[in-house]
Amino acid sequence: MKFHFQQALRALMLLAFSAMIASLHWTEELTKFINPKYESLSQTASILFFILFLVQLTRVVSLSKTTQHCHDTGQACCSHHDHGQSVFTRKKIISYLIIMTPIITGFFVPAKILDAAIADKKGGAFILTQQSQKSKIEDYLTTNETIDENIYDEHDPDPRLIEEKQEMTKKQYEQLKQKLAQQTTLKMTDDDYTIYYEEINQHLANYLGKQIQLKGFVLKEESFTENQLVISRFLITHCVADASIVGFLTEFPEATTITEDTWIEVIGTIGQTTYEGASLPVIHIDDWVTIEQPESPYLYPITIRMSF
Amino acid sequence: MERLPIPKYVFNFWFIFILIVGFLPPLILNFSVLKGLISSLLSLHTIFLSILIEALPFVLIGILIAGFIQIFITEEHIQRWIPRNTLMAVIMSCLVGALFPACECGIVPIVRRLIAKGVPIHAAIGFMLTGPLINPIVILSTYMAFGNNFKIAILRMIIGFVIAIIVALLISLFFKGSQFKGSLHPPSSSINTQTPSFITKLLNMFKHAIDEFFDMGKYLIIGAFLAAFVQTYVSTKTLVEIGDGLSTSILVMMSLAFILSLCSEADAFIGASFNAIFSTPSILAFLIFGPMIDLKNTIMLMSVFRLKFVLTLVALVATVVYFSILILSAYL
Repeated sequence: MKFHFQQALRALMLLAFSAMIASLHWTEELTKFINPKYESLSQTASILFFILFLVQLTRVVSLSKTTQHCHDTGQACCSHHDHGQSVFTRKKIISYLIIMTPIITGFFVPAKILDAAIADKKGGAFILTQQSQKSKIEDYLTTNETIDENIYDEHDPDPRLIEEKQEMTKKQYEQLKQKLAQQTTLKMTDDDYTIYYEEINQHLANYLGKQIQLKGFVLKEESFTENQLVISRFLITHCVADASIVGFLTEFPEATTITEDTWIEVIGTIGQTTYEGASLPVIHIDDWVTIEQPESPYLYPITIRMSF
Repeated sequence: MERLPIPKYVFNFWFIFILIVGFLPPLILNFSVLKGLISSLLSLHTIFLSILIEALPFVLIGILIAGFIQIFITEEHIQRWIPRNTLMAVIMSCLVGALFPACECGIVPIVRRLIAKGVPIHAAIGFMLTGPLINPIVILSTYMAFGNNFKIAILRMIIGFVIAIIVALLISLFFKGSQFKGSLHPPSSSINTQTPSFITKLLNMFKHAIDEFFDMGKYLIIGAFLAAFVQTYVSTKTLVEIGDGLSTSILVMMSLAFILSLCSEADAFIGASFNAIFSTPSILAFLIFGPMIDLKNTIMLMSVFRLKFVLTLVALVATVVYFSILILSAYL
């Protein structure tokens, strides 16, 4: 009987990866990293890590003294490969430390909700001027057929997402869009935010003068006048690394007193203005209130199922 | 048994990182700066972990496929499947890559295993370049991101495919052999004559996958960290402001694709958000270059191949993409 320390360490790390992803899932922290739609993909990763851990366990203790190294594969041996049998060196310790870093920080460092500083790095309000001309980022299309064949989306959609209308057919989407367009007051919820957003930016003329109610965090630019700010949200396609900014420029006197990253909810009227040479919607505020940062601060694109 | 040598820069990188994190704040001694720094470090950490969590399922699938190739596919199979003719081999491998849904980090272990099994380097690179770029999910997300318009999606696939073939052919001119780091021992004939049972084979497949994970893992983590670092501290605004005129804007969008290291299914939406700032050719350059080469997967390639080969490959892909798009821009 021989105990292999390095193999045990590897087993422990595989288990830790599995546990980290599982714990992020249980504590619902995972939604601060990725679009909930892809949560089952991460769960798969957690399960795969656990299976790898079980397999790795068989290597921790060897009965015979000979190393089991790839003689049992019955195939040509792979030479440039580290099987975790070789001696510990400084290089190996560092490489194990690197692999352990995300496990440790994943357990102990809290996830941070993206803020105005990141929004600024991602282009800030400048990006909004572009979206008003070409706003199509919010639709995400998949087909039933490809989902079945594809390794990316082998899971069934979360029923909760369907309930929340995060996934619908093209027809339903169009109907919903029309219904929303007819309302006199646009009350933007997290579920229909992207529909309104696309509509207002594409057909601004139809919405001028309408009442609108929405929430978001405050984003400011150096080039803004004192009474201007952007009520913005992050839209997450897959994970927070691909977050993009959506939001509306607003104008009201108290804007100067509100600091960046404050979450506010506003009621106002939709108007039109120009910023940096681009025409874009602006909200003239009638009433506003400071709110707590919501439980789910991010928006996710609506998946439109195409039925062929 | 060879140990994988870790390049020197890793030590330097962590050394510098610890230096910045550990010693800079007290020197500055400014509370608001310190607060901002901590806040940005937390953002950095969140983006870093999210890239990792996003990539891990694909990497795990990648290492399992690599393990499968190692155990179940023999050199004889490969020899029979890959055409002798270089051009035919490249076209075939690019086609296989196009049919094979993968992401740019999950494909690295697969490519390494294929080369170890005797797939010529040009064929393996062709497969690696088209794998993440051309697949149903990428086509559909591109179609949707550009306002239900197939034009960009189709151009992305066709131009990307041709570029992959050109790069793979160039690789066949410049490089022979595996280009692996360290010496590759000539494949020895099987020592074991008796065929192991299926269960043993399956177990070995998983064991290989584990070894592959620990070989690749650290490079994936460093790559994700660098990409997160860039996203937290480098403003895309500054990049965007440089991008004036066609040739520079193509360069800007390509560098953006490189440093952002987005997954190829999600990058279309980011690309589309630049649609009004930049012309179609530069957006296409972003969409084609990103899935082929980015910061995260360059670091991972360095774990497998010689530094010289990786740098040449990155330079080749960048040059071919740049000039193809520049030449085609007149017709786009």
